[in-house]
Amino acid sequence: MLSKKGGSQMTRQAFIIARREFLERVRNKWFAIVTILGPIGMVAAIVLPAYLSVRSVKEGFHVQVVDQSERDVADMMDIELDARGVAFKLERVPPQTDVAILEGRIRDEKIDGYLIFPKDVLSGGKVMYRGDNATNMLVTKGLSSLVDFAVFRTRGKDMGLGEIQIASLFQKVEFESKQTTGQGEATSGTASFVVGYAVMFVLYIAILLYGVAVLRSVIQEKNNRVVEIMVSSVRPISLMLGKVVGVGCVGLLQLTLWGLMAAIIVGFREEVLGLFGIPGAGAFELPHLGGADFAIILVYFFLGYFFYAALYAAIGAMVNSEQEAQQAQTPVMLMLIIPVLCVQIVAGDPRGGVAEVLTQIPFASPVLMPMRFLLDAVSTAEILASIGILLASLLGAVLLAAKVYRVGILSYGKKPSFREVWSWIRNS
Amino acid sequence: MASPKTSLRVRGIHKQYGDFVAVGDLSFEAPTGVVYGLLGPNGAGKTTTLRMINNIIMPDSGSIELLDRLSPGPEAAKHIGYLPEERGLYPKMKVRETLAFFGALRGLGGKASHRQADTWLERLKLSDWRGNNVQDLSKGMQQKVQFAAALIHDPELLILDEPWSGLDPINAEVLKDIVSAQKDAGKTILFSTHLMEQAEHLCDHVCIMAKGRKAVEGRLDELKREAAAEGLVNLAFRTPEDEQRARNGVLGQSMVEGVQDERDGLLVQLAAGVESDKLLGELVADGLSIRRFERQQASLHQIFVSRVGAMADAEQEGRLADD
Repeated sequence: MLSKKGGSQMTRQAFIIARREFLERVRNKWFAIVTILGPIGMVAAIVLPAYLSVRSVKEGFHVQVVDQSERDVADMMDIELDARGVAFKLERVPPQTDVAILEGRIRDEKIDGYLIFPKDVLSGGKVMYRGDNATNMLVTKGLSSLVDFAVFRTRGKDMGLGEIQIASLFQKVEFESKQTTGQGEATSGTASFVVGYAVMFVLYIAILLYGVAVLRSVIQEKNNRVVEIMVSSVRPISLMLGKVVGVGCVGLLQLTLWGLMAAIIVGFREEVLGLFGIPGAGAFELPHLGGADFAIILVYFFLGYFFYAALYAAIGAMVNSEQEAQQAQTPVMLMLIIPVLCVQIVAGDPRGGVAEVLTQIPFASPVLMPMRFLLDAVSTAEILASIGILLASLLGAVLLAAKVYRVGILSYGKKPSFREVWSWIRNS
Repeated sequence: MASPKTSLRVRGIHKQYGDFVAVGDLSFEAPTGVVYGLLGPNGAGKTTTLRMINNIIMPDSGSIELLDRLSPGPEAAKHIGYLPEERGLYPKMKVRETLAFFGALRGLGGKASHRQADTWLERLKLSDWRGNNVQDLSKGMQQKVQFAAALIHDPELLILDEPWSGLDPINAEVLKDIVSAQKDAGKTILFSTHLMEQAEHLCDHVCIMAKGRKAVEGRLDELKREAAAEGLVNLAFRTPEDEQRARNGVLGQSMVEGVQDERDGLLVQLAAGVESDKLLGELVADGLSIRRFERQQASLHQIFVSRVGAMADAEQEGRLADD
């Protein structure tokens, strides 16, 4: 049993260590650089590919059309050509044109692709597109709808419909979808998803970044041999906790700064977008993030970070170099990546059973629960249960890590086998 | 608090890794105010012993008492300064902050730790570097910072593990001065080394270890006296002729076990039980002209070799007996 004095000394020492870790990191120029460039990089990572793909779509794709229907179905496409803001330069080639020749033109970059209308296209035959841009969703969706339009129109004519009737038949249907679970005001489905996804991504990156920072800090302390003085002065658990808390506070500060920056950018988004010459910013509507949302994000960051940082600290104590750490951290890394891979399931059906289970699992909930919360798809009881489970696992992880840490921190040289690590846990 | 009589009391500590006994049933005591040397060849268990005293590893059995009342741990650490064999500092931390940090960890308040840091930087002539990162300093300067880090909280007991390894001659002197100053201030110093010369100059007490066990322990002057009683005589004659006569005469008789040429004279090993006066009497009776006759003070090195050697022999015999 710790005496009260021993306990307060532990806390004091952990605080001194945490303060050192915090100051050393915050004073480092990389902290400033990452804090400022991080959001820019993240926005760029999302916006740039989209922007580039939109731009190339606007420049127009050169597609040759082989119409074997003998009905000039393909000609019908020209009418709708620019309707979707996707530009295609459609060029008719003779129906008997050999596929090999068309492939050759793609190879020589004379055309982007070719489209074949089969003879039986009006009675269910398959229209085929082959091109170097078939991975682009905008291209395939645009082409597909152009083909639909041409075939339907021809069929309409065959049924004896006039131009006006056909126009009326194809009048665009407006459709709107919004996200709601009946608890609050509905928000734009896409916007909610984007924000939820962004939050998930930021949490994943932050936990990974700062978890690995703890790992590296432990290894460095081992490598530059300060650890011996440290362990002679403080209990290993104070050392570990001080480290984890110190690094965690840096993460918290960084997330808060990012949150503030995001709030400012969102608040002035029209002006910001105006700077880049993009008008009509009002067109996209962002779901409002309130205090409760931020609180949940920070709570899950801190708990999730603590859970993973304790595991990373234990791994740091087990290994002797960053190379060894690469290998040893794989299991922890997988624990963190699996929930990220499951994000589609949660986003796709935030109130479904899989989402409910995933957000209760301690290694997945820190990343996934805030997203579900933002999608308004979770009850207070679920959140409390999830926090409770996470907290309990967190304590377990810290106790386990402390045992490994205590023995491992002083072992130099050979990397321990799992059997040895297990004996550290059992015997200490 | 009345100053403790015994700074360190080690009773029967034992540390074993599998079948390998790192430290076996070791006991010794360091009275307050002495310079205590823990000596032995590499692998003798010195570092393991110091680590147990510093609470870095736990003995399997036995007890360690510090300053008459404390067990190893964070509370005792406030009164102990420790310079490990594998020394290191945080490379990206400023020099003054580094010292204040270690001071705070060992119980100093924020202001006191910074004040002490300044005092030490002044004393070690590092004041100009206080705002630099540790990694900007030369190796020699970093070593000084490490000394200061061990002493910043004015410890009652200073523990140094192989302190001279890797030191340049200037810092070796600095460290000697620190040890003397600590001793003058009534503090206790415990250090380990395999360099007998350093130990011989500094130590009041020694404990010689070999293979994890204690070979001999005690006050250095007493150990030397005992060893001297074992019959080594330093002898020089006025003329080579006298020396030759002695070699042919008295020194060839049964009271002398061996004669060894020294730079300036002879070193004579008397046979067991023979007192040096007897040899002197015989030489004088032969009318030899003696320039020097002194009972040789055994050097620490000789004590070390004879004790550790004796232990190795005993072990050898034990092993033979086992077979």
